[in-house]
Amino acid sequence: MTDPRKGDHAEPTTHFGFQDVPESQKAKKVAEVFHSVAAKYDLMNDVLSGGMHRLWKRFTIELSGVRTGNRVLDIAGGTGDLAAKFSRLVGPTGQVVLADINESMLKVGRDRLLDRGVAGNIEFVQADAEKLPFPDNHFDCVTIAFGLRNVTHKEDAIRSMLRVLKPGGRLLILEFSKPTNKLMSKAYDAYSFAFMPLAGKLITNDSESYRYLAESIRMHPDQETLKSMMVAAGFDRVTYHNMTSGIVAVHRGIKP
Amino acid sequence: MLLAGLLASAEHGINHVLRMDSTALPRLAALEGKVVEIDCLQPALKLFVLPDDQGLMLAAHWEGGVDCTLRAPAGRLAQLALAGDKTAVLHSPQVQLHGDTAVLLDLFGILQDLDLDWEYELQRWLGPVPTALLAGHLRLRARWSRQGLTRFSQNLSEYLAEESRTLVGKREAEAAFSELDALKVDIERLEARMRRLAHTLDTSDNA
Repeated sequence: MTDPRKGDHAEPTTHFGFQDVPESQKAKKVAEVFHSVAAKYDLMNDVLSGGMHRLWKRFTIELSGVRTGNRVLDIAGGTGDLAAKFSRLVGPTGQVVLADINESMLKVGRDRLLDRGVAGNIEFVQADAEKLPFPDNHFDCVTIAFGLRNVTHKEDAIRSMLRVLKPGGRLLILEFSKPTNKLMSKAYDAYSFAFMPLAGKLITNDSESYRYLAESIRMHPDQETLKSMMVAAGFDRVTYHNMTSGIVAVHRGIKP
Repeated sequence: MLLAGLLASAEHGINHVLRMDSTALPRLAALEGKVVEIDCLQPALKLFVLPDDQGLMLAAHWEGGVDCTLRAPAGRLAQLALAGDKTAVLHSPQVQLHGDTAVLLDLFGILQDLDLDWEYELQRWLGPVPTALLAGHLRLRARWSRQGLTRFSQNLSEYLAEESRTLVGKREAEAAFSELDALKVDIERLEARMRRLAHTLDTSDNA
């Protein structure tokens, strides 16, 4: 029997958009994409989602149940949208850690938050979601918004998040998912593969990164698959909420 | 998502207004970490308000604990938002309060005491000189409108009470009420005297 994840080389392969690449190459390729888009990441998010990403993130915050004094980890925090809100919610007695594997995104996020006066209870850490450099049972809430699909070993990342959560703590995964409506799905495909690369070309002069974005969304596990991955990792009471007809879903699991 | 969008816009607008009052944000900071649930009964709608030093956060859904719940029909909530004396509305039977009511009263107190420095905001956009001219003009207009409204209200009440005799004047009504009060007291006194006489008659018959 041959391992279906193995290509011509002996190294296992994984998907990078619709391409199969050696696992060791995925992180590097993803990093290149985000280095390329970091400077105009927020603008592109607003253009591509029509501002909807702000509402999706708001709903994620509402589900977090974060209170004053809590410790929150925002993985793949990018430009710090969620971290800024969490910083307000946890107050001066709490702590927010914004972690991102990509140096450029972290730098943009850090500068943006400091410019907005978000400081004091927030730390910035360059970290890999699969190997989180934090102690066990440390955080009250862990979030990852639009980041999981770029992780090479998603199961390892989910297990790592479970490890750093306190018992009773909650993980929230906000990610693109599978539209629940067939008509919406067709329109969304046309939008993703025609408009997104074009907008990327016009705004950041980089259509390839946005082609990757569209492809990586299609390769990401759907709602039920991601839910079963969270259950398999050891999360309890796993539920998900579809938003905008399932284009985006937020999964929530509690550490038992 | 539509409600979330509306709340996001409302939150943006409210926080902008709150920043125009120099004391509102420091006072809201004292309520940081508190969560107020406003539960509208008719139509059914829930709103969560989270105050902090940057203003108010509004949410349609909140998973965390709630410090205070205000439950009332939409009409009462609107009345509460507009009323000068909010305590009177809060004590009405259709309004239910649960939890730490001090949080809610503090929050309403802050919103009621808002003194917006709109000239500063205008100055940021137009500059100091045009703002001074415009503000003077607006203040004059506002004073003129207030005086006009007061005069109109006085004239209207005089017309209705004195000329058309449609309504009873305030002094006339007060005199009538005082006569009614005196009559009521007299009747009560008479009733008491009759009861005493009846009691006296009963005692003499028995003797």
